[in-house]
Amino acid sequence: MGNASTEKYCGNCDSHNSYSYPKQVFCSTRYAQNLNPIVDTLWHCGNWNQVSQECYCVREALRNKNVSLVTEH
Amino acid sequence: MERKDYLQTPVKHIKIDGVQTVDQLMRQFKSSGALGAGRLATACDIYEKMLKDKDCTVFLALSGTVVPAGMRTIVTDLIRKKLVDVIVSTGACMVHDAIEAIGGHHYIGSPAVNDAELYRYHLFRIYDIFVPEEDYVKLDLTLSRMYDDIAQEHKGESLASNEFSWEIGKRLTDKNSILRAAYEENIPIFLPAVRDSEFGFIHWLHAAQEKQKPILQLDAFKDVPTICGICAKSPKNGMIVIGGGMPRNTIQSSALASKKGLDYGIVITLDRPETGGLSGSTLEETVSWGKMKGEADHVMVIGEALMVFPFLVASVTERLGPSFNRTPFIQFGKTSGKRS
Repeated sequence: MGNASTEKYCGNCDSHNSYSYPKQVFCSTRYAQNLNPIVDTLWHCGNWNQVSQECYCVREALRNKNVSLVTEH
Repeated sequence: MERKDYLQTPVKHIKIDGVQTVDQLMRQFKSSGALGAGRLATACDIYEKMLKDKDCTVFLALSGTVVPAGMRTIVTDLIRKKLVDVIVSTGACMVHDAIEAIGGHHYIGSPAVNDAELYRYHLFRIYDIFVPEEDYVKLDLTLSRMYDDIAQEHKGESLASNEFSWEIGKRLTDKNSILRAAYEENIPIFLPAVRDSEFGFIHWLHAAQEKQKPILQLDAFKDVPTICGICAKSPKNGMIVIGGGMPRNTIQSSALASKKGLDYGIVITLDRPETGGLSGSTLEETVSWGKMKGEADHVMVIGEALMVFPFLVASVTERLGPSFNRTPFIQFGKTSGKRS
Protein backbone atom coordinates (compact mmCIF):
# COMPACT_ATOMS: atom_id res chain seq x y z
CA MET A 1 0.00 0.00 0.00
CA GLY A 2 3.04 2.29 0.18
CA ASN A 3 2.68 5.65 1.91
CA ALA A 4 -0.93 5.99 0.89
CA SER A 5 -2.32 4.44 4.05
CA THR A 6 -0.38 6.74 6.41
CA GLU A 7 -2.01 9.89 5.10
CA LYS A 8 -5.63 10.92 5.58
CA TYR A 9 -7.77 10.56 2.50
CA CYS A 10 -11.44 9.84 1.92
CA GLY A 11 -10.24 6.73 0.11
CA ASN A 12 -8.83 5.26 3.32
CA CYS A 13 -11.56 6.51 5.64
CA ASP A 14 -14.01 4.00 7.08
CA SER A 15 -17.00 5.99 5.77
CA HIS A 16 -16.10 5.37 2.15
CA ASN A 17 -17.48 3.09 -0.53
CA SER A 18 -16.52 3.05 -4.16
CA TYR A 19 -18.51 5.42 -6.37
CA SER A 20 -16.41 6.10 -9.47
CA TYR A 21 -13.34 3.97 -8.92
CA PRO A 22 -10.74 5.17 -8.12
CA LYS A 23 -11.50 8.86 -8.55
CA GLN A 24 -14.55 9.35 -6.35
CA VAL A 25 -16.00 7.68 -3.28
CA PHE A 26 -19.38 7.70 -1.58
CA CYS A 27 -19.30 9.00 2.00
CA SER A 28 -22.08 7.64 4.22
CA THR A 29 -21.33 10.17 6.98
CA ARG A 30 -21.88 13.10 4.62
CA TYR A 31 -25.03 11.48 3.29
CA ALA A 32 -26.44 11.25 6.80
CA GLN A 33 -25.60 14.94 7.27
CA ASN A 34 -27.47 15.86 4.06
CA LEU A 35 -24.20 16.94 2.43
CA ASN A 36 -23.10 15.90 -1.06
CA PRO A 37 -21.90 12.32 -0.41
CA ILE A 38 -19.81 12.03 -3.59
CA VAL A 39 -16.29 13.25 -2.82
CA ASP A 40 -12.83 12.93 -4.33
CA THR A 41 -10.88 9.91 -3.16
CA LEU A 42 -7.91 12.14 -2.29
CA TRP A 43 -9.91 14.61 -0.19
CA HIS A 44 -10.57 14.30 3.54
CA CYS A 45 -12.46 16.07 6.32
CA GLY A 46 -12.46 16.34 10.10
CA ASN A 47 -14.55 13.19 10.53
CA TRP A 48 -11.84 10.97 9.05
CA ASN A 49 -11.41 7.54 10.64
CA GLN A 50 -8.91 4.92 9.51
CA VAL A 51 -10.54 2.19 7.45
CA SER A 52 -10.30 -1.27 9.03
CA GLN A 53 -9.63 -3.18 5.80
CA GLU A 54 -7.49 -1.29 3.31
CA CYS A 55 -8.29 -1.08 -0.37
CA TYR A 56 -6.61 0.20 -3.53
CA CYS A 57 -8.61 3.43 -3.85
CA VAL A 58 -5.89 5.78 -2.61
CA ARG A 59 -3.04 3.92 -4.32
CA GLU A 60 -4.82 3.98 -7.68
CA ALA A 61 -6.10 7.54 -7.32
CA LEU A 62 -2.55 8.73 -6.52
CA ARG A 63 -1.17 6.76 -9.47
CA ASN A 64 -3.74 8.31 -11.81
CA LYS A 65 -3.00 11.77 -10.41
CA ASN A 66 0.73 11.28 -10.98
CA VAL A 67 0.11 10.03 -14.50
CA SER A 68 -1.99 13.07 -15.31
CA LEU A 69 0.66 15.38 -13.82
CA VAL A 70 3.34 13.76 -15.98
CA THR A 71 1.07 14.04 -19.01
CA GLU A 72 0.51 17.74 -18.33
CA HIS A 73 4.27 18.35 -18.32
CA MET B 1 -47.62 -54.64 -8.30
CA GLU B 2 -46.70 -57.60 -10.42
CA ARG B 3 -43.34 -58.11 -12.13
CA LYS B 4 -44.64 -57.10 -15.58
CA ASP B 5 -45.94 -53.79 -14.17
CA TYR B 6 -42.36 -52.67 -13.62
CA LEU B 7 -41.48 -53.22 -17.27
CA GLN B 8 -44.14 -51.24 -19.09
CA THR B 9 -42.16 -48.55 -20.93
CA PRO B 10 -38.74 -49.19 -22.48
CA VAL B 11 -36.20 -46.36 -22.53
CA LYS B 12 -35.98 -44.97 -26.05
CA HIS B 13 -32.63 -43.73 -27.23
CA ILE B 14 -32.31 -40.02 -27.84
CA LYS B 15 -32.15 -39.29 -31.54
CA ILE B 16 -30.42 -36.01 -32.30
CA ASP B 17 -30.51 -36.36 -36.09
CA GLY B 18 -33.41 -34.23 -37.30
CA VAL B 19 -33.79 -32.30 -34.04
CA GLN B 20 -33.96 -28.62 -34.88
CA THR B 21 -35.77 -27.00 -31.99
CA VAL B 22 -35.63 -27.02 -28.22
CA ASP B 23 -39.00 -28.70 -27.90
CA GLN B 24 -38.05 -31.38 -30.40
CA LEU B 25 -35.08 -32.19 -28.18
CA MET B 26 -37.32 -32.09 -25.12
CA ARG B 27 -39.60 -34.68 -26.70
CA GLN B 28 -36.55 -36.88 -27.22
CA PHE B 29 -35.76 -36.41 -23.54
CA LYS B 30 -39.30 -37.52 -22.75
CA SER B 31 -38.88 -40.65 -24.86
CA SER B 32 -35.79 -41.51 -22.86
CA GLY B 33 -37.66 -40.65 -19.69
CA ALA B 34 -34.61 -41.30 -17.59
CA LEU B 35 -32.70 -39.27 -15.02
CA GLY B 36 -32.43 -35.50 -15.39
CA ALA B 37 -33.60 -35.49 -19.00
CA GLY B 38 -36.76 -37.35 -18.03
CA ARG B 39 -37.43 -35.03 -15.11
CA LEU B 40 -36.89 -31.92 -17.23
CA ALA B 41 -39.29 -33.26 -19.88
CA THR B 42 -41.84 -33.93 -17.13
CA ALA B 43 -41.37 -30.37 -15.86
CA CYS B 44 -42.18 -29.08 -19.35
CA ASP B 45 -45.36 -31.17 -19.47
CA ILE B 46 -46.43 -29.88 -16.05
CA TYR B 47 -45.77 -26.22 -16.88
CA GLU B 48 -47.67 -26.59 -20.16
CA LYS B 49 -50.57 -28.14 -18.23
CA MET B 50 -50.52 -25.33 -15.67
CA LEU B 51 -50.72 -22.70 -18.39
CA LYS B 52 -53.55 -24.45 -20.22
CA ASP B 53 -55.51 -24.94 -17.00
CA LYS B 54 -57.81 -21.90 -16.93
CA ASP B 55 -58.35 -22.32 -13.18
CA CYS B 56 -54.66 -22.30 -12.23
CA THR B 57 -52.71 -19.41 -10.79
CA VAL B 58 -48.99 -19.80 -11.54
CA PHE B 59 -46.56 -18.78 -8.80
CA LEU B 60 -42.87 -18.33 -9.62
CA ALA B 61 -40.34 -18.48 -6.76
CA LEU B 62 -37.02 -16.77 -7.40
CA SER B 63 -33.85 -17.15 -5.37
CA GLY B 64 -30.12 -17.22 -6.01
CA THR B 65 -28.42 -15.81 -9.08
CA VAL B 66 -31.36 -15.52 -11.47
CA VAL B 67 -30.41 -12.02 -12.62
CA PRO B 68 -26.60 -12.06 -12.30
CA ALA B 69 -26.45 -15.30 -14.29
CA GLY B 70 -28.50 -13.86 -17.14
CA MET B 71 -32.12 -15.01 -16.69
CA ARG B 72 -33.60 -11.57 -16.08
CA THR B 73 -35.14 -11.22 -19.54
CA ILE B 74 -36.67 -14.70 -19.36
CA VAL B 75 -38.58 -13.67 -16.24
CA THR B 76 -39.54 -10.29 -17.70
CA ASP B 77 -40.87 -11.98 -20.86
CA LEU B 78 -42.90 -14.45 -18.77
CA ILE B 79 -44.48 -11.51 -16.95
CA ARG B 80 -45.28 -9.63 -20.16
CA LYS B 81 -46.72 -12.75 -21.85
CA LYS B 82 -48.80 -13.52 -18.74
CA LEU B 83 -47.15 -16.89 -18.31
CA VAL B 84 -46.67 -16.27 -14.58
CA ASP B 85 -49.24 -14.65 -12.28
CA VAL B 86 -47.46 -14.09 -8.96
CA ILE B 87 -43.77 -13.82 -8.13
CA VAL B 88 -42.28 -14.54 -4.73
CA SER B 89 -38.63 -13.58 -4.58
CA THR B 90 -35.71 -13.08 -2.29
CA GLY B 91 -34.96 -9.40 -1.80
CA ALA B 92 -31.56 -10.01 -3.39
CA CYS B 93 -33.00 -11.15 -6.74
CA MET B 94 -34.92 -7.89 -7.06
CA VAL B 95 -31.88 -5.91 -5.89
CA HIS B 96 -29.90 -7.51 -8.74
CA ASP B 97 -32.72 -6.53 -11.09
CA ALA B 98 -32.74 -2.94 -9.81
CA ILE B 99 -28.95 -2.69 -10.19
CA GLU B 100 -29.28 -3.46 -13.90
CA ALA B 101 -32.37 -1.25 -14.20
CA ILE B 102 -30.32 1.80 -13.27
CA GLY B 103 -27.44 0.94 -15.61
CA GLY B 104 -25.29 -1.44 -13.58
CA HIS B 105 -23.95 -4.74 -14.86
CA HIS B 106 -22.85 -8.17 -13.76
CA TYR B 107 -19.62 -9.39 -15.36
CA ILE B 108 -18.29 -12.78 -16.42
CA GLY B 109 -15.62 -13.70 -13.88
CA SER B 110 -13.99 -16.76 -12.39
CA PRO B 111 -13.96 -18.54 -9.04
CA ALA B 112 -10.17 -18.90 -9.36
CA VAL B 113 -9.28 -15.42 -8.20
CA ASN B 114 -7.68 -13.67 -5.26
CA ASP B 115 -10.73 -12.56 -3.27
CA ALA B 116 -8.67 -10.32 -1.01
CA GLU B 117 -7.56 -8.47 -4.13
CA LEU B 118 -11.16 -8.23 -5.35
CA TYR B 119 -12.02 -6.66 -2.00
CA ARG B 120 -9.29 -4.06 -2.46
CA TYR B 121 -10.63 -3.26 -5.93
CA HIS B 122 -14.17 -2.95 -4.51
CA LEU B 123 -15.40 -5.86 -6.61
CA PHE B 124 -17.88 -8.44 -5.32
CA ARG B 125 -17.94 -12.08 -6.46
CA ILE B 126 -20.92 -14.36 -6.95
CA TYR B 127 -19.09 -17.60 -7.80
CA ASP B 128 -17.90 -16.82 -11.34
CA ILE B 129 -19.72 -13.51 -11.71
CA PHE B 130 -18.32 -10.14 -10.64
CA VAL B 131 -20.19 -6.97 -9.77
CA PRO B 132 -18.54 -3.63 -8.97
CA GLU B 133 -19.33 -2.06 -5.61
CA GLU B 134 -20.19 1.25 -7.29
CA ASP B 135 -23.19 -0.39 -8.95
CA TYR B 136 -24.50 -1.24 -5.48
CA VAL B 137 -23.63 2.22 -4.18
CA LYS B 138 -25.42 3.93 -7.05
CA LEU B 139 -28.42 1.73 -6.33
CA ASP B 140 -28.17 2.63 -2.64
CA LEU B 141 -28.35 6.31 -3.48
CA THR B 142 -31.23 5.78 -5.89
CA LEU B 143 -33.14 3.62 -3.44
CA SER B 144 -32.59 5.95 -0.53
CA ARG B 145 -34.13 8.78 -2.58
CA MET B 146 -36.96 6.48 -3.64
CA TYR B 147 -37.55 5.57 0.01
CA ASP B 148 -37.76 9.28 0.88
CA ASP B 149 -40.32 9.73 -1.88
CA ILE B 150 -42.37 6.62 -1.04
CA ALA B 151 -42.44 7.48 2.66
CA GLN B 152 -43.57 11.00 1.83
CA GLU B 153 -46.27 9.71 -0.48
CA HIS B 154 -47.58 7.20 2.05
CA LYS B 155 -47.19 9.61 4.99
CA GLY B 156 -45.51 6.99 7.16
CA GLU B 157 -48.14 4.31 6.49
CA SER B 158 -46.65 0.79 6.57
CA LEU B 159 -46.39 -1.05 3.27
CA ALA B 160 -46.64 -4.75 2.55
CA SER B 161 -43.71 -6.29 0.64
CA ASN B 162 -45.76 -6.49 -2.59
CA GLU B 163 -46.72 -2.84 -2.22
CA PHE B 164 -43.05 -1.99 -1.69
CA SER B 165 -41.94 -3.82 -4.86
CA TRP B 166 -44.79 -2.16 -6.77
CA GLU B 167 -43.58 1.28 -5.62
CA ILE B 168 -40.00 0.50 -6.66
CA GLY B 169 -41.17 -0.82 -10.05
CA LYS B 170 -43.22 2.33 -10.56
CA ARG B 171 -40.08 4.43 -10.16
CA LEU B 172 -37.86 2.41 -12.52
CA THR B 173 -37.93 3.13 -16.24
CA ASP B 174 -36.07 0.12 -17.68
CA LYS B 175 -38.56 -1.97 -19.71
CA ASN B 176 -36.36 -5.05 -19.23
CA SER B 177 -36.62 -4.80 -15.47
CA ILE B 178 -38.59 -7.53 -13.66
CA LEU B 179 -39.83 -4.97 -11.15
CA ARG B 180 -40.89 -2.55 -13.88
CA ALA B 181 -42.58 -5.25 -15.99
CA ALA B 182 -44.46 -6.52 -12.93
CA TYR B 183 -45.60 -2.98 -12.14
CA GLU B 184 -46.82 -2.42 -15.71
CA GLU B 185 -48.51 -5.83 -16.00
CA ASN B 186 -50.03 -5.80 -12.48
CA ILE B 187 -48.13 -8.89 -11.35
CA PRO B 188 -47.54 -8.84 -7.58
CA ILE B 189 -44.00 -9.48 -6.37
CA PHE B 190 -43.86 -10.64 -2.76
CA LEU B 191 -40.56 -10.24 -0.95
CA PRO B 192 -40.83 -12.22 2.30
CA ALA B 193 -37.15 -11.66 3.07
CA VAL B 194 -36.99 -8.07 1.92
CA ARG B 195 -34.93 -6.96 4.93
CA ASP B 196 -32.24 -9.56 4.24
CA SER B 197 -31.01 -7.76 1.15
CA GLU B 198 -29.73 -4.37 0.07
CA PHE B 199 -33.37 -3.23 0.24
CA GLY B 200 -33.21 -3.77 4.00
CA PHE B 201 -29.77 -2.48 4.74
CA ILE B 202 -30.21 0.66 2.65
CA HIS B 203 -33.12 1.51 4.91
CA TRP B 204 -30.43 2.33 7.47
CA LEU B 205 -28.97 4.93 5.11
CA HIS B 206 -32.42 6.36 4.38
CA ALA B 207 -33.35 6.53 8.06
CA ALA B 208 -29.95 7.89 9.17
CA GLN B 209 -30.39 11.16 7.29
CA GLU B 210 -30.69 14.14 9.61
CA LYS B 211 -34.24 15.50 9.81
CA GLN B 212 -35.48 12.62 7.61
CA LYS B 213 -39.23 12.37 8.15
CA PRO B 214 -41.22 10.34 7.54
CA ILE B 215 -39.25 7.07 7.51
CA LEU B 216 -40.35 4.33 5.13
CA GLN B 217 -42.18 1.62 7.09
CA LEU B 218 -42.69 -1.98 5.99
CA ASP B 219 -45.02 -4.42 7.73
CA ALA B 220 -43.72 -8.00 7.51
CA PHE B 221 -47.16 -9.47 8.21
CA LYS B 222 -49.29 -7.27 5.96
CA ASP B 223 -48.82 -9.37 2.81
CA VAL B 224 -49.85 -12.66 4.47
CA PRO B 225 -53.61 -12.24 3.95
CA THR B 226 -52.96 -10.98 0.41
CA ILE B 227 -50.98 -13.99 -0.78
CA CYS B 228 -53.16 -16.45 1.14
CA GLY B 229 -56.19 -14.70 -0.38
CA ILE B 230 -54.80 -15.29 -3.87
CA CYS B 231 -54.41 -19.03 -3.15
CA ALA B 232 -57.90 -19.18 -1.62
CA LYS B 233 -59.56 -17.36 -4.50
CA SER B 234 -57.84 -19.39 -7.21
CA PRO B 235 -59.47 -22.79 -7.88
CA LYS B 236 -56.02 -24.29 -8.51
CA ASN B 237 -52.49 -23.22 -7.67
CA GLY B 238 -49.18 -24.20 -9.21
CA MET B 239 -45.59 -23.25 -8.43
CA ILE B 240 -42.31 -23.19 -10.26
CA VAL B 241 -39.36 -22.83 -7.90
CA ILE B 242 -35.89 -21.70 -8.85
CA GLY B 243 -33.73 -22.63 -5.89
CA GLY B 244 -35.83 -22.72 -2.77
CA GLY B 245 -35.58 -21.00 0.59
CA MET B 246 -38.10 -18.47 1.77
CA PRO B 247 -39.81 -17.89 -1.63
CA ARG B 248 -40.63 -21.60 -1.97
CA ASN B 249 -41.80 -21.82 1.63
CA THR B 250 -43.97 -18.72 1.28
CA ILE B 251 -45.86 -20.20 -1.67
CA GLN B 252 -46.23 -23.61 -0.05
CA SER B 253 -47.33 -22.20 3.30
CA SER B 254 -49.83 -19.88 1.61
CA ALA B 255 -51.32 -22.89 -0.16
CA LEU B 256 -51.54 -24.66 3.20
CA ALA B 257 -52.94 -21.70 5.15
CA SER B 258 -55.62 -21.16 2.53
CA LYS B 259 -56.62 -24.84 2.88
CA LYS B 260 -55.98 -25.41 -0.81
CA GLY B 261 -52.74 -27.30 -1.27
CA LEU B 262 -50.82 -26.94 -4.52
CA ASP B 263 -52.11 -28.70 -7.64
CA TYR B 264 -48.86 -28.43 -9.59
CA GLY B 265 -45.24 -28.22 -8.46
CA ILE B 266 -41.92 -27.88 -10.25
CA VAL B 267 -38.74 -27.37 -8.25
CA ILE B 268 -35.35 -26.75 -9.85
CA THR B 269 -32.62 -27.14 -7.28
CA LEU B 270 -29.25 -28.63 -6.46
CA ASP B 271 -30.06 -28.83 -2.76
CA ARG B 272 -30.30 -32.18 -1.00
CA PRO B 273 -33.15 -33.48 1.17
CA GLU B 274 -30.99 -35.19 3.80
CA THR B 275 -30.29 -31.98 5.73
CA GLY B 276 -33.96 -31.49 6.53
CA GLY B 277 -33.80 -27.99 5.06
CA LEU B 278 -36.71 -26.81 2.94
CA SER B 279 -34.82 -26.04 -0.27
CA GLY B 280 -33.85 -29.65 -0.86
CA SER B 281 -36.95 -31.24 0.62
CA THR B 282 -38.79 -33.50 -1.76
CA LEU B 283 -42.23 -32.56 -3.03
CA GLU B 284 -43.51 -35.83 -1.52
CA GLU B 285 -42.45 -34.41 1.87
CA THR B 286 -44.46 -31.29 0.99
CA VAL B 287 -47.53 -33.50 0.54
CA SER B 288 -47.19 -34.69 4.14
CA TRP B 289 -47.76 -31.12 5.33
CA GLY B 290 -50.78 -30.59 3.11
CA LYS B 291 -48.91 -27.88 1.22
CA MET B 292 -49.26 -29.90 -1.98
CA LYS B 293 -52.05 -32.30 -2.86
CA GLY B 294 -51.20 -35.97 -3.00
CA GLU B 295 -52.45 -36.20 -6.58
CA ALA B 296 -50.63 -33.04 -7.72
CA ASP B 297 -48.51 -33.17 -10.86
CA HIS B 298 -45.03 -32.55 -9.57
CA VAL B 299 -41.35 -33.01 -10.31
CA MET B 300 -38.02 -31.96 -8.88
CA VAL B 301 -35.36 -31.25 -11.47
CA ILE B 302 -31.98 -31.67 -9.86
CA GLY B 303 -29.84 -29.22 -11.73
CA GLU B 304 -28.49 -25.72 -11.99
CA ALA B 305 -31.32 -23.34 -12.83
CA LEU B 306 -29.33 -21.51 -15.51
CA MET B 307 -29.09 -24.77 -17.48
CA VAL B 308 -32.62 -25.96 -16.75
CA PHE B 309 -35.00 -22.98 -16.65
CA PRO B 310 -34.23 -21.57 -20.14
CA PHE B 311 -34.89 -25.03 -21.66
CA LEU B 312 -38.13 -25.32 -19.68
CA VAL B 313 -39.40 -21.94 -20.84
CA ALA B 314 -38.18 -22.32 -24.44
CA SER B 315 -39.76 -25.75 -24.81
CA VAL B 316 -43.12 -24.78 -23.36
CA THR B 317 -43.43 -21.47 -25.20
CA GLU B 318 -42.58 -23.31 -28.43
CA ARG B 319 -45.38 -25.79 -27.76
CA LEU B 320 -47.86 -23.04 -26.99
CA GLY B 321 -46.95 -21.09 -30.12
CA PRO B 322 -47.08 -17.34 -30.70
CA SER B 323 -50.89 -17.24 -30.86
CA PHE B 324 -51.37 -18.64 -27.34
CA ASN B 325 -53.20 -16.05 -25.31
CA ARG B 326 -53.64 -16.78 -21.65
CA THR B 327 -56.11 -15.03 -19.40
CA PRO B 328 -55.05 -15.38 -15.76
CA PHE B 329 -57.80 -16.56 -13.41
CA ILE B 330 -57.13 -13.65 -11.05
CA GLN B 331 -56.79 -10.18 -12.51
CA PHE B 332 -54.83 -7.90 -10.23
CA GLY B 333 -55.71 -4.24 -9.92
CA LYS B 334 -53.51 -1.21 -10.47
CA THR B 335 -53.46 0.08 -6.94
CA SER B 336 -50.62 -1.32 -4.93
CA GLY B 337 -52.49 -1.72 -1.69
CA LYS B 338 -55.67 -3.29 -3.06
CA ARG B 339 -54.58 -6.38 -4.91
CA SER B 340 -56.37 -9.32 -3.37
